[in-house]
Amino acid sequence: MPSRRRTLLKVIILGDSGVGKTSLMNQYVNKKFSNQYKATIGADFLTKEVQFEDRLFTLQIWDTAGQERFQSLGVAFYRGADCCVLVYDVNSMKSFDNLNNWREEFLIQASPSDPENFPFVLIGNKVDVDGGNSRVVSEKKAKAWCASKGNIPYFETSAKEGTNVEEAFQCIAKNALKSGEEEELYLPDTIDVGTSSQQRSSGCEC
Amino acid sequence: MSMEASELHDLSDDADYAASQQQGSASMMRCDSEKRSSSSEHEGAELIYLKDNVAIHPTQFASERISGRLKLTKQDSILFLSWIPYKGQTSNAKLSEKDRSLYTITAVPFTEVRSIRRHTPALGWQYVIVVLSSGLAFPPLYFYNGGVREFLALVKQHVYLARSGEDANVFLVNDFQSPLQRTLSSLELPSSLPVASGQSTYPLDGGSSSDSQGRTSAGVDNRVSQYVSRKQKSHDPTRDLSIHLLEKFSLVTKFARDTTTQLFSENNGFGSVDKRWNNQPVHSYSEKLTNIAEEKDNENHHSYPEKEHLNDEEINLVDVPADPLEFNKLSLVWGKPRQPPMGSKELTAFLDSEGRVVESKALRERVFYGGIEHQLRKEVWPFLLGYYAYDSTYAEREYLRSVKRMEYATLKQQWQSISPEQAKRFTKYRERKGLIDKDVVRTDRAFEYYEGDDNLNVNSMRDILLTYSFYNFDLGYCQGMSDYLSPILFVMGDESESFWCFVALMERLGPNFNRDQNGMHTQLFALSKLVELLDSPLHNYFKQNDCLNYFFCFRWILIQFKREFEYEKTMQLWEVLWTQYLTEHLHLYVCVAILKRCRSKIMGEQMDFDTLLKFINELSGHIDLDSTVRDAEALCICAGENGAASIPPGTPPSLPLDEGVLYPQDDDVL
Repeated sequence: MPSRRRTLLKVIILGDSGVGKTSLMNQYVNKKFSNQYKATIGADFLTKEVQFEDRLFTLQIWDTAGQERFQSLGVAFYRGADCCVLVYDVNSMKSFDNLNNWREEFLIQASPSDPENFPFVLIGNKVDVDGGNSRVVSEKKAKAWCASKGNIPYFETSAKEGTNVEEAFQCIAKNALKSGEEEELYLPDTIDVGTSSQQRSSGCEC
Repeated sequence: MSMEASELHDLSDDADYAASQQQGSASMMRCDSEKRSSSSEHEGAELIYLKDNVAIHPTQFASERISGRLKLTKQDSILFLSWIPYKGQTSNAKLSEKDRSLYTITAVPFTEVRSIRRHTPALGWQYVIVVLSSGLAFPPLYFYNGGVREFLALVKQHVYLARSGEDANVFLVNDFQSPLQRTLSSLELPSSLPVASGQSTYPLDGGSSSDSQGRTSAGVDNRVSQYVSRKQKSHDPTRDLSIHLLEKFSLVTKFARDTTTQLFSENNGFGSVDKRWNNQPVHSYSEKLTNIAEEKDNENHHSYPEKEHLNDEEINLVDVPADPLEFNKLSLVWGKPRQPPMGSKELTAFLDSEGRVVESKALRERVFYGGIEHQLRKEVWPFLLGYYAYDSTYAEREYLRSVKRMEYATLKQQWQSISPEQAKRFTKYRERKGLIDKDVVRTDRAFEYYEGDDNLNVNSMRDILLTYSFYNFDLGYCQGMSDYLSPILFVMGDESESFWCFVALMERLGPNFNRDQNGMHTQLFALSKLVELLDSPLHNYFKQNDCLNYFFCFRWILIQFKREFEYEKTMQLWEVLWTQYLTEHLHLYVCVAILKRCRSKIMGEQMDFDTLLKFINELSGHIDLDSTVRDAEALCICAGENGAASIPPGTPPSLPLDEGVLYPQDDDVL
């Protein structure tokens, strides 16, 4: 009988208010975009079935409130996460500058067993806005940040137009799966232990 | 027993140190004498630290502060923290013994503490906030005589304390870098220790609580010794691992048993008992009572399938403990029937010839039981919110409006006069404006009043929120505020009037948005106490499933169900809550009412925290307002004094002091 832990992959989406966390989640899960999502209060999640090498997994994607004041709730929501998605808006420097805070806050509150190698994925969202003319964070700058944090995979998306969203989440699911497997030491019957994910290139090596 | 003060060499530069040292030695002497005379100290516990004049501020009123003694004790190498309020504090007639014991922190092991945040402002009192692994936080502990640094230095000698990389004022407890250490540490965590107050049970029949002091002390003893014995049993890491495995297997067994139960309980004949979601008459409690009476023990095993109305999913039925209040429903008037909204003739009858509300309590009662016709809201809401005084005349209100209009214009001018050059150098302003700009365009845009591009009402909303963030610069803007403002602006129309109504509402609910989230934590804590009182099986279920932080009710409380009901229903609920007729805290009873309606589904399906959060979020749009308010009313009456005592004084929405006299029924409690 498969355990719950092995089939459920928990992913947390973090980032400043209004960068598009809810939109990314809904675009990926429901293939829909709306201008009328309300500011997220507290937390919520959506689930989606994903398949990897003939095995089905449930991806549980957590959407959280973006205002700093609500970070203290993280203790309850981040627990047991398998992957953390950091989102910023390529048209907002502040949302990029805050990535460090979000990453560190996550590591403190989720306290993963191996913080050095915990999988993060970075998403620069809203590349569609104004045909890219209002962009203030360059791809180069974002990739440099990813490199400095242990080669975090990086994707540029438009949740509005659906650009690159599927690809980003496939990478997220894959990293969550690896992370999950590393913690499955106590039920080793169907798990390939040892697929370490220390070397991560920009983008996904899948 | 030793203070170990001599070892604290590095504290010589601490301004508070000299004072605290003196204080410390004085209190040690006092403690010595007290220990001899008291049998309540647990045996074998070593006193590590003792600090007098450490206080909790339940409200902003100086008269309601509670002073007490902070202690660190150690038993079998586990450090415990406790804070006991002083007995018979004379300065304070408004606080009963019950209030004090509600805040008592009884021997919390440091293995349950996640972090300690210290606040050592240059001016004002130092305080610490202790945050538990569960996410709950105790109220700030104010060190009237200083010495926070000394306290932390002492803690550091006994538990692993690391400064957070994120915030230099946060100290993480037992935040081991080694995964193995961390795992072992987490395995040692006991899951069943109560979080705070020693008063874990409240007799519903109004039974005596006069011996609460004695019970509290005894509780400390038991808890410490239980904890210690558990700890001793599980100190062997290999043993811990095997226990962990066994636990996994027991889950599998449990799953099998649950499935069996489900198969056998499908035809139990109770399928239609609970139909209240559809506002149908409650039927046949006597039938249920008969069946309950047939059970020999108190653990009644009935399963009540919940209505499809709530959720279309398949329902897994397992043994669900009976609702302890089912008995009471027979003898109770279960919430008065709701009346139609108050109309203009009725309103006129409440006013004298010059426009004063003669009997404000009668008006509030009328609104409580039926709400207000929409076109009258503009006239009545300012009273309910406290913007208009009930005894003001038409003329006085007209004058107030004109004065306030000018005041609003002045406030608004403050940010309107910020030039682009100044804005460049005013990060806080830019950030706030950015947040507000982002939120107003996604607040109720599907609602007619706010829909469409370049909507002027959306602009008004932005202006009001930005002005408020200058009016109350300390609180600033926080997400959720726009949810509160939206119906107010829709009802009041006028920008200045909406602003002042919003200001009045924030006087009550501002603490919901505090930076330290203390207002929210207080309410979630009060909610957990109310559920413990009104549905102990459900409370126990939450406890066993690590749900006691009640974060799944966060949205309900932060914006008072704004996202749970349609627009018109939200306005109806709010005006009922704002009357503060039966209690200031009806919203907490509304939470209990909704949870109780779902109790058999929650427990029957064995929801864990995640599932519960999802379930609660998805209740949005499926809650029947009238029957829920009736339940909440009945629960409030049923809980009576014990309910009021479960809610710490100062829990938002706290009343301004001068309005307190309007509620004589609360005198014995507050």
